[in-house]
Amino acid sequence: MGARLVTATTPKTDYVHRNPRWARLRRFLRSDRGATWSAAVLFIAAWQLLTLIAPRVPSPIDVIQIMFIEMTGGDYGSIRRGEFWGHYGATLQRYGIGLAIGFVAGILVGALIGTSSLARALINDTVLVLLALPAFVWAFLTTMWFGIGWQAPVLTVAFAAFPFVAVNVAQGVRSIAPDLRHMSTAFGVTGWKRFRSLTLGGVMGYVFAGLRFAMIVSWNGVLLSEWFNGQNGVGFRTRFWFDANRYPGFLGWVISFIVFIVALDRLVLTRLQDRAFRWRAPVVETQRTPSQRTPSETR
Amino acid sequence: MRGTAAGLRRRRYLALVVGWAGFVAIWWLLALWIGSDARLPSPVRVLREVGYIFGGNPNIATDEGGVFWPNFSSSVLRVILGFATGVLFGTPLGFLMGRRRYWRSFLRSPVLIAGSIPGLTYAVMVLVVFGISNIGPILAIGLISMPYIAINVAEGVMGVDKGLVDMSTAFGRSENQIFRSVLVPSVLPFIFAGIRLSFSLAWKVGQLTEVFGSSRGIGFQIRRNFQLFNMPGVIAWVGLFIAFMLLLERFVLVRLERRLFRWRQWERDS
Repeated sequence: MGARLVTATTPKTDYVHRNPRWARLRRFLRSDRGATWSAAVLFIAAWQLLTLIAPRVPSPIDVIQIMFIEMTGGDYGSIRRGEFWGHYGATLQRYGIGLAIGFVAGILVGALIGTSSLARALINDTVLVLLALPAFVWAFLTTMWFGIGWQAPVLTVAFAAFPFVAVNVAQGVRSIAPDLRHMSTAFGVTGWKRFRSLTLGGVMGYVFAGLRFAMIVSWNGVLLSEWFNGQNGVGFRTRFWFDANRYPGFLGWVISFIVFIVALDRLVLTRLQDRAFRWRAPVVETQRTPSQRTPSETR
Repeated sequence: MRGTAAGLRRRRYLALVVGWAGFVAIWWLLALWIGSDARLPSPVRVLREVGYIFGGNPNIATDEGGVFWPNFSSSVLRVILGFATGVLFGTPLGFLMGRRRYWRSFLRSPVLIAGSIPGLTYAVMVLVVFGISNIGPILAIGLISMPYIAINVAEGVMGVDKGLVDMSTAFGRSENQIFRSVLVPSVLPFIFAGIRLSFSLAWKVGQLTEVFGSSRGIGFQIRRNFQLFNMPGVIAWVGLFIAFMLLLERFVLVRLERRLFRWRQWERDS
């Protein structure tokens, strides 16, 4: 907890300045990285403190212990693996197949809406309605349609992902400047070359942006679907511990699926998106206005 | 073909009507083909269900009739209170992030992480902590909207016209007066933008919380009809859910924002 005391508000005492080790620690704590680390440490400290006040809240150690057993099989570790990998494998398989369906459908419909104004007038509203549907509705509907099985989670993911990809791709296609198109025609750049350097270059960033939101939203979708009708999978296992009133296991699984999507988003998706948008001029920060973000970013 | 503005608008309306008519027609044909209300009820069947929701089902003796308003009003009240919670806690965080570099990097990761946490987490955690209650959905909506509001407020605070603050200081205005007459009006549109950006997500997670732990609300009704295997009921409630969300987003929020902040030049420019 000393982290906070040494920051901005403490008066500069001579003691702090005279001892170089303290000075270095102080400099680190006040730096950007130090701030990030203090936030993480403070969070865990607050969690630990909470377990002292509310005994029903499992402590970090409990959660780590049970997740270790879930991963390795605990005492039976040498004989069999834990539950963790099987459930994650099942969920990731559904997630991947569903995403592939939603992604392909979204790109096709998005390209259609983006290129043809007739198609846009006809189906844009339908896509917006799909965008407004929460994932749990798809989880319920697909369960009622197909019963318990692989179809419900896969289709929940596909339905949840589809409108996000479609909206973003349509926006990307429409964002390609007509000037550039005219110029490429005038200079005789057509066909595959034009598609590769103009269309693909312009749309790629939007495709990745759409993929990113679609992946975040449909991760929630697959978990919900498994929660309500799964026989296995991450959502099912989370519910298993929840129904058993065993909160360390429950919290451990919740943390595991949060860590999964946050890591995927931060380490892969955001980077892909930034890379694909690299050609854009950096935003000049003259005057900040709200709603700079594209409407599709509001999940 | 002359591309007059009125002609263009007429064509666009026509296409919209055709689009919606096509949507309903395809739905209807599919429903006729499948031929089972439990799989895909026809639009007429769903409309009748909407009638039951508003006026009660005469075929069921115990149906008290008109379940729409109690559920609807409790959902709306939770959304309003949830956003109030989000603004209450998000605004100070945003001010901190906007004014101090240290707090900006301190709160950056938590805020970014909060943006990609699955909604299921909020719904279930809130159920564990509060049980079936009113506080759950309100807190979930507050937690969802808070990072968006904080980020926007931080942007707003960083964008406050320094010249205005310097001038006010030069003319001997007190800190308090500067805060009230310069900072707050400059930041208000950003709070609003945060609400608008997070509205659809917060509304969805609010309903999800009602699915898990509530005895009232639109989300609760969707789940009840799911458990009764009443497909027309599920679709009717989902339709009402979407209609309300789009109406509120398009007409109330956007218009209110435009009206409240008419004095801001950039609103008209963009």
